[in-house]
Amino acid sequence: MKITSGLMNICATIIAFSFSLNVFAISPADIKKGEYLARVGDCVSCHTAPHGKDFAGGLPMLTPVGAIYTTNITPDPETGIGKYTESDFAKALRRGVAKDGHHLYPAMPYPSYAKVSDTDIHYLYLYFKHGVKPVRQANKASEIPWPLNYRFPLAIWNAFFLDKETYKPDPDKDANWNRGAYLVQGLGHCGACHTPRGLAFQEKGLTHESGKFLSGETLEGWSATNLRDDHNTGLGRWSESDIVVYLKSGANQHSSAFGTMTPVINNSTEGMTLEDLTGMSSYLKTIKGSDDKGQKPYKYDPSATLAQFKEPAKHPGAKLYQQYCAACHSQNGQGVAPYLSPLAGNPAVMDPDPSSLINVILNGSPQLKPQGVAAPYNMPKFRHILNDTEVAQLVTFMQKGWNHNLDATDAKQVAKIRKMPPSAH
Amino acid sequence: MATLNINGTTHQVDAPDDMPLLWVIRDIIGLTGTKFGCGIAQCGACTVHIDGQAARSCVLPISAIGDKKITTIEAVGETSAGKSIQKAWLDLEVMQCGYCQSGQIMSACSLLGQHPHPNDEQIDTAMAGNICRCGTYPRIRAAIKVAAKEGA
Repeated sequence: MKITSGLMNICATIIAFSFSLNVFAISPADIKKGEYLARVGDCVSCHTAPHGKDFAGGLPMLTPVGAIYTTNITPDPETGIGKYTESDFAKALRRGVAKDGHHLYPAMPYPSYAKVSDTDIHYLYLYFKHGVKPVRQANKASEIPWPLNYRFPLAIWNAFFLDKETYKPDPDKDANWNRGAYLVQGLGHCGACHTPRGLAFQEKGLTHESGKFLSGETLEGWSATNLRDDHNTGLGRWSESDIVVYLKSGANQHSSAFGTMTPVINNSTEGMTLEDLTGMSSYLKTIKGSDDKGQKPYKYDPSATLAQFKEPAKHPGAKLYQQYCAACHSQNGQGVAPYLSPLAGNPAVMDPDPSSLINVILNGSPQLKPQGVAAPYNMPKFRHILNDTEVAQLVTFMQKGWNHNLDATDAKQVAKIRKMPPSAH
Repeated sequence: MATLNINGTTHQVDAPDDMPLLWVIRDIIGLTGTKFGCGIAQCGACTVHIDGQAARSCVLPISAIGDKKITTIEAVGETSAGKSIQKAWLDLEVMQCGYCQSGQIMSACSLLGQHPHPNDEQIDTAMAGNICRCGTYPRIRAAIKVAAKEGA
């Protein structure tokens, strides 16, 4: 008996000791590091349903083959990831494979997260294990129909499109640039929206070595603009500090965030350190564009547009603009940056795909809230005020206006976007 | 600290750059003739003049004004267009509840500044952004025409 109780004592001491060691190993500072990285990765924007609990999942994501729902990533052991070990967690993040072995759809940007370092994975794991409140909320099944809902082909997909290498710093570049490249390609997963996708829904390039990387794509009725160095449609006219100001506050002298970029600002980039944002902008500015596919470099000239306002009967687009838009965005298209977005020369207006322009007129824009303070001037929605023809006239007015000279938009394009649900974000 | 010229008087205003002019006019300066309606430039109740041009003060950050001259409903009667518009408004008894009317008058005065004899199309375009819940539009149009005639 004595021996047994002695053994038990020893066992208890060992358990208590290892438990206290465990507690020691998880420092609040490390959890904080993970929290910051989760912010950089903007996990919360997709893994939270509208008005839902943080990280409990349930947000519908529209894919070409049907809606899928984001999952519960709180540490609840039954419905969340509470039973995940660190290596399970790493496998889900970087390989797209859940603990039970099923393959995640690549709407989860694991091809980007594959670049994330082991250290950062460790901090993220600590945060999701110990820093996030568990929420019991079962995951919703996808609406992808049979037989497309079989997940085994995703293993083949991964063989083609998943690069398993973590980020390798470029020795020819400085630490600032490398930090930026690591964040843009990896946790920041900018390419998930801004890189064109191929037939298999794969991003057509995961680093700047591909000419397609970050060259713009349309998802869920929003055109995520070109982030390469193109003068008209990309970031060619933006300085590094313009990019930092935009990511920190949601607006700068060229443009304001709208649509699905708004939660990215609110939940992610506004809280990033200036060092990280400076790295990202330094990296982005080195990605060469494709000279706007032959367009002439844009030069601001409002004269022809201002003349249209004098003869509103002949120019229905100008008349509508005067009535609904000019009070904020001005006849000269310059708005009052950074509070009221300029339209003249704005790359989002000069985007060859008018989806965002149509969408933002129909549905307005979610509230920007950098540093927790609501931006004072929000874009209202006009879907109940303007019909498809009127929206098309307005969009065309802006596409031609202020010397943009772009192609016109027709009412059919507006009708298509009107039918789509306004983004659930 | 911003310096604003309102109705010919210079005001030093301690307000953030992004504060809408309407807030400054009503809450800081105390000129309450200009009304808050929608706050998103869709109703016209807050219309003032910036260098004689109609502008919606609810969406105008004060940083955008610089040294331009602001005129509100309290002082527009001192301009010739303002005088004839206000007289026509009284003569035709345009107002009903009156809430939108300072904005209507400011837009009408700005219109006469640009087109001393506006046609219906020009009236429609200039006044389309001013909404009247009481439906005084026919009298507004008639009063603008009277003011244009008498002002000539």
